[in-house]
Amino acid sequence: MQELVAIASLGSVYLLFALGLSTAWGTIGILNFAHGAIFVSAAYGCYELLEVRQLPVPVLAVVAILIGATMSLLMQVLVFDQVRRRATSERAAETRILIGGIGVAMLPIALASHQTKNLAFGLSASGFEASIWTVGGVRVSSIQVATVVCAAGAAAALAWYLRRTRAGLALRSLGVDDQVAALMGIDRRRYAWATMAVAGGLAGLAGVLLTLNLGAISAESGDALLIKAFACVVLGGVGSTVGVVVGCFTLAASEVWVLTQTSGMWVEAVSFGIIFAVLLLRPQGIFGRQEVRRV
Amino acid sequence: MSAFYASNLVLVQATLVAILLALSIQVPLRLGVFSLAGVGSYGIGAYVSANLVLREEMGALPTMLVSGLVAAAVGLLLGVIIYRLAGLYLAMATIAFDLTVGVVALNGGDWTGGPVGLFGVFTNLTMGLLFGTVVLVLVLVHLTEVGRLSRRITTVREDPELAASMGVNVRAYRLTAFVVSGFLGGLAGCLNTLTRSAVGLQDVSFHLVVVALTTIIVGGALSWRGAVIGAVLFTWLPSVLEVVGEWQEFVYGLIVVLAAIFLPTGLYGLWCSVRRWLVDRMRPRPRPRPGSEPRPEAPSAAAAAEQEVAAR
Repeated sequence: MQELVAIASLGSVYLLFALGLSTAWGTIGILNFAHGAIFVSAAYGCYELLEVRQLPVPVLAVVAILIGATMSLLMQVLVFDQVRRRATSERAAETRILIGGIGVAMLPIALASHQTKNLAFGLSASGFEASIWTVGGVRVSSIQVATVVCAAGAAAALAWYLRRTRAGLALRSLGVDDQVAALMGIDRRRYAWATMAVAGGLAGLAGVLLTLNLGAISAESGDALLIKAFACVVLGGVGSTVGVVVGCFTLAASEVWVLTQTSGMWVEAVSFGIIFAVLLLRPQGIFGRQEVRRV
Repeated sequence: MSAFYASNLVLVQATLVAILLALSIQVPLRLGVFSLAGVGSYGIGAYVSANLVLREEMGALPTMLVSGLVAAAVGLLLGVIIYRLAGLYLAMATIAFDLTVGVVALNGGDWTGGPVGLFGVFTNLTMGLLFGTVVLVLVLVHLTEVGRLSRRITTVREDPELAASMGVNVRAYRLTAFVVSGFLGGLAGCLNTLTRSAVGLQDVSFHLVVVALTTIIVGGALSWRGAVIGAVLFTWLPSVLEVVGEWQEFVYGLIVVLAAIFLPTGLYGLWCSVRRWLVDRMRPRPRPRPGSEPRPEAPSAAAAAEQEVAAR
């Protein structure tokens, strides 16, 4: 039972993080390698803010969302848009966006590492103490509950938006064929900006929630999370919201299981194994309808 | 000169290793295979060579060969498994491979020294052998950039379907990319261990992927000269940029972003363009009269492949 709580809260952090990554990749074709850096930067920004003044946790969450959204939007406008404008082909753009993302990620991480002297940082300065409830012998903290609620809300809202609204339809059509979508009068750039801002905001929220949950994170936490999120997205299928949800909780369950069965050293390899297995056995993922481009 | 050389020996060695590591990613890129598995091969070569020297007391040259071949064999196996993937999926699968090597190294017990690593790997490696190896590799890579083979490689990268229709075995070329990448990566890792006499988890980290990609993107992705330019630049930059010592990572990130946006062909490509422009400016030529036919375009990959077939 205690494991179930761990799976729920870990999977929810993955979900908040991976939702934006997956949506951006599935619709506007941008796999943002700086997504992990946004996650860390939002938590770090809150940490710096707390040095200046006391703030309650809900305000911190809003600040984190704003930091994440702003950073993500800036990356889109200053880097990814520029790369796309200059790229000769779709494939060249893909490669350069990946590399540009790696480069952009180095900037805030270098800044945070420099200021924190590579040490882990937390949000204890907010004076926030998570209340812990014991239900039938299982311990649940208020932060874990908040994480699960936020992730469920975000996933449901996003799924509804993509499925049921006109704008969501426009966004999905970009993922299928952006040239035809452009002919239908869909402004790709505007949608790209909005998508990236939302993705960044969700990553920022995940950053603060995970930091509160673990007590502290370090500037390098973003890289590992990025690969894990990629594993979740690939497992579920690119562009499928239900797929991402299933992928995230599958990964969380596998990791918690490995953690209880072995010494903690092999946990990191779970996500790599999943990436390999899925790409070999079912490249489009569980819920994916898109065929992976064959060579 | 010799005093300068002696005091910067470590940097010279690091540059040579960085060239090989960059090539292990650049060679598959030139074939249109976006594989970053060279970094995992680097880790394999680094640990295999340490074990060969510490347990078997092997000499430098056989260690280099065995490390390279082991990494090449793993590369072939990986290639057989994932050569169908393309683009981002391939990149991420190979990054997963690199990180898997890292996890194995962490859990390897006595074979890898776990989080501590292995130390005291001393061999009879000379600078002459190190230089000779790198020069030999560069010559071999250069041979793939001239003449008939170069045209085939370009076609496989730019238009695999066309290449296949011209009778080029695209699959064989792709698998070869994995094997060559494995061998070069393994060789680079082995030489890194032999020059540093130690190996640790820093030799199998994600950071190396960033370093290798940075080297190629800034130097130039389509020629070994680009790899050399990038390796020299990024190995020597920290010692030149003493001022920004603690901001090194930040500066690197900035350089990578700018290169990704503005330098599609890297510094070497920029140099080629500038040279071409200068030559064009220098050459006096009659001004084309309006209505005369346009200047012939450079032959495309397709035309090159057609000539190729016609020549047979």
